[in-house]
Amino acid sequence: MARGKANDLRSRRIALFIAAACAAVAIPALVVLSSVSKHRSSPWFGSYDSAARPAYDFSLIDQDGKPLRLSDLRGHIVLVSFGFTRCPNICPATLGNLAAVFRKLPPEAQEKVDVVFISVDERDTPESLKEYVPFFNSNFFGLTGRPADIGATARAYGASFRKAPAVGEDKSDYTIDHSTYTHLIDPEGNMRLLYRFDQLPETGRIADDIQRLLGLPVNTPPPTVQ
Amino acid sequence: MKTCFFALVLAGGVACAGELKIDDPWIRAVPPGSKATAAFMTLSNSGSEVVEVTGGATPVALEVKPMITTKSKVDGHDVMGMEFVDRFSVEPGKKRVLEPGGDHIMLMKLKSVPKAGEVVALTIHLESQGKTETRTLQVPVR
Repeated sequence: MARGKANDLRSRRIALFIAAACAAVAIPALVVLSSVSKHRSSPWFGSYDSAARPAYDFSLIDQDGKPLRLSDLRGHIVLVSFGFTRCPNICPATLGNLAAVFRKLPPEAQEKVDVVFISVDERDTPESLKEYVPFFNSNFFGLTGRPADIGATARAYGASFRKAPAVGEDKSDYTIDHSTYTHLIDPEGNMRLLYRFDQLPETGRIADDIQRLLGLPVNTPPPTVQ
Repeated sequence: MKTCFFALVLAGGVACAGELKIDDPWIRAVPPGSKATAAFMTLSNSGSEVVEVTGGATPVALEVKPMITTKSKVDGHDVMGMEFVDRFSVEPGKKRVLEPGGDHIMLMKLKSVPKAGEVVALTIHLESQGKTETRTLQVPVR
């Protein structure tokens, strides 16, 4: 009888140990799995900046030669990309895709979206930007500024650039290597979403992100949370 | 391949670049005042020898050169850039897609800026086994 009780106690201890061991493995596994599924079920196509930190309030010059701060655009979604007007491939591809995103938006969303192209090229002027940027969409506009202000803006947005060596005789005929991300700033002025260059052809999904942020109906429903 | 072989025997050697197919060429419409634009296309080599694109010519630009897109890091951030190359190689049996954001043929020192809807003549210079060939395409601008 006493022996039976001891056995009973021992098997209960073993059962408890197994249960604890299972929990030790299962709980972290569940945490990992749930974070993966949370990641998968993110309603956003762009990378989501959950910290919602305020975007750097740049102070630049617009294509009409007037000063413009990011905070002047409060209340609008602002899509920011960096480039230069002598850029024949990457920048036209970026702005061409953003123009396609813009066309997909209903008028009530279009009037709340600004697409700005910040030149990282000291050769660019308000005039050269005005000839280049609105070509892709008449609502888009280019920004230039003092090199120090451009540098500070690029640094704050995690964008980089450098002059590539000139190829021919003409040393002023150089191109610029630059970051190709598009940053989405929400109407409250927070960094919200980031698009890689290779995501930009998915114009419908970017339009959906914008409409969702503006509280407008979207074309594709968000993935259902498992 | 076969035609190429016979041609070699009969003519004492002609380029095999004829086995390179060029599909879906287009030129990007760029803003007025632009100094350069890019041409894109798909190159397919059905032959048994490497075919190379060495450059080209067009009435709308002074220079036509192959260019690749490069990816590198500056201050730990990814950046993209462009670099001229002497030639694009298309390996036998392979395809090489020239597309936005990737490799392209640069039209530089534009004499006139191609507008959307126009068609521009673009001659592509090909080389295979030391033999050269040119191919003139009628390329839509869009």
